[in-house]
Amino acid sequence: MFGYLQIDKAELKVREYEAYKSVYCGLCRQLGKDYSVFARFALSYDCTFYAITLMSLKRSCTGFRDGRCRFNPLKKCKYALCEDDCYSKAAALTVISVYYKLCDDINDSGFFRALAVRMIKPFFSHCRKKAAKRYPELDTIVRDMLDSQIELEKKDKPSIDEAAHPTACMLAEIMKAEGRNESEARVLYECGYHLGRWVYLMDAADDYEKDKKHGSFNPFMTIETDDLRGYMNALLSQSLARAYDAYNLLDIRDFKGILDNMMLFGFPLKQNSVLTGPQGGKK
Amino acid sequence: MSNPYEVLGVSPGATDEEIKKAYRNLAKKYHPDNYADSPLADVAEQKMKEVNEAYDEINRMRQKGKGTGSTGSSAYSSSGYNSSGYGYSKYNSVRIYIQRNMINEAETVLNGIPENERDAEWHFLRGMCFYRRGWSDQANAEFQTAVSMDPNNQEYRTAVNNMNAQRTYNYGGYNTTNVYDTGGCSAWDICSACMCANCLCSCCRSC
Repeated sequence: MFGYLQIDKAELKVREYEAYKSVYCGLCRQLGKDYSVFARFALSYDCTFYAITLMSLKRSCTGFRDGRCRFNPLKKCKYALCEDDCYSKAAALTVISVYYKLCDDINDSGFFRALAVRMIKPFFSHCRKKAAKRYPELDTIVRDMLDSQIELEKKDKPSIDEAAHPTACMLAEIMKAEGRNESEARVLYECGYHLGRWVYLMDAADDYEKDKKHGSFNPFMTIETDDLRGYMNALLSQSLARAYDAYNLLDIRDFKGILDNMMLFGFPLKQNSVLTGPQGGKK
Repeated sequence: MSNPYEVLGVSPGATDEEIKKAYRNLAKKYHPDNYADSPLADVAEQKMKEVNEAYDEINRMRQKGKGTGSTGSSAYSSSGYNSSGYGYSKYNSVRIYIQRNMINEAETVLNGIPENERDAEWHFLRGMCFYRRGWSDQANAEFQTAVSMDPNNQEYRTAVNNMNAQRTYNYGGYNTTNVYDTGGCSAWDICSACMCANCLCSCCRSC
């Protein structure tokens, strides 16, 4: 996806930061185990967020274990242990979303970039097939998102809300699937919807200048206002506010400090850096 | 029923004061005002009810033990969210659909109303449909239209205020500058200030 769902490290406790890192490393290891060493390059903050949310909701983290980083054997790291399939699921989502992102990139980018993307696509195509076999519902959700996104971009001047809808729905459906009862599923849907919406709008805000130059699709292009930054900021803040309201209704115990940090500091921080940064704050 | 202490997130050994504080925090979190117009209003109401019950239950248990009534009973009632009570309106069916989260049905009725008959309330309700869907931007535009057509209506103005509050939402520290100001000056701050000063000094000296 996009890498906006991050923590604000400065506001975390040290042990919370270590727990966060150990989930990150755990997910990386799972990617290597389930797919291949190269799949580890697809590791993203967004999917780490997904893994942490899953482990928190299912309360399945059983402890931590010392290990070593595969890429840097000199570096010691901790792995968060998990008793069910949270890691596999997050790993599956990682490769599935990367695969569909590549498909999208081939349509969108210029000749050379498209060529490069075509070279690595077969590898992820293989991974995605494997992931889709285990989690067909994840594959369907992400594919539907991309289909409706393509459909939408053909439309004449879609509204901001319409444009954000496919991505919002994708995260909403992914989160909803974890609900243990009807009301929790509804809360997760709402939370996922607004987070997905926020991610999409963040990406659009981040790419605004670039898209303007290349004449690519961007939902903010049709907005006529004197203060575009202010407008983006209001939209993004509202999405976060609504996601946070829904999040508050969840019964979060494990990793609460980390998830609270993301909702209250990490995401707003990222939002600020994208809106105020000279070239956006993507990396 | 689940353990009332667990509902409030406190240990059974907590003092009355701690329990009161935990209760207040939760009541603030689930307060109906935070979820006005939200599709999750009923979930929040349910949570509020559980918290109220747990608090009352704990008070009852403790009073039995001590024979005194020092903590009092829950003060926050979970009032309903009936948007009725605004008198008769030709959009009653729409309001009922919205209340039941049947947004498609509500929109069908709204779309069936010819354009020249679309008044402030029509825009307000259409905004409400958008809002329930999560389409906050169009909801905002509709609410604004409703208010500009009928500036004295309290219901529409509340909706706009609610939108504005969300659009300028400030969490514990949306403005990054504020985040670092709130904590006051701790030992760590002094220490790091000294270190910075030290660095500056050594810079000067080397020049």
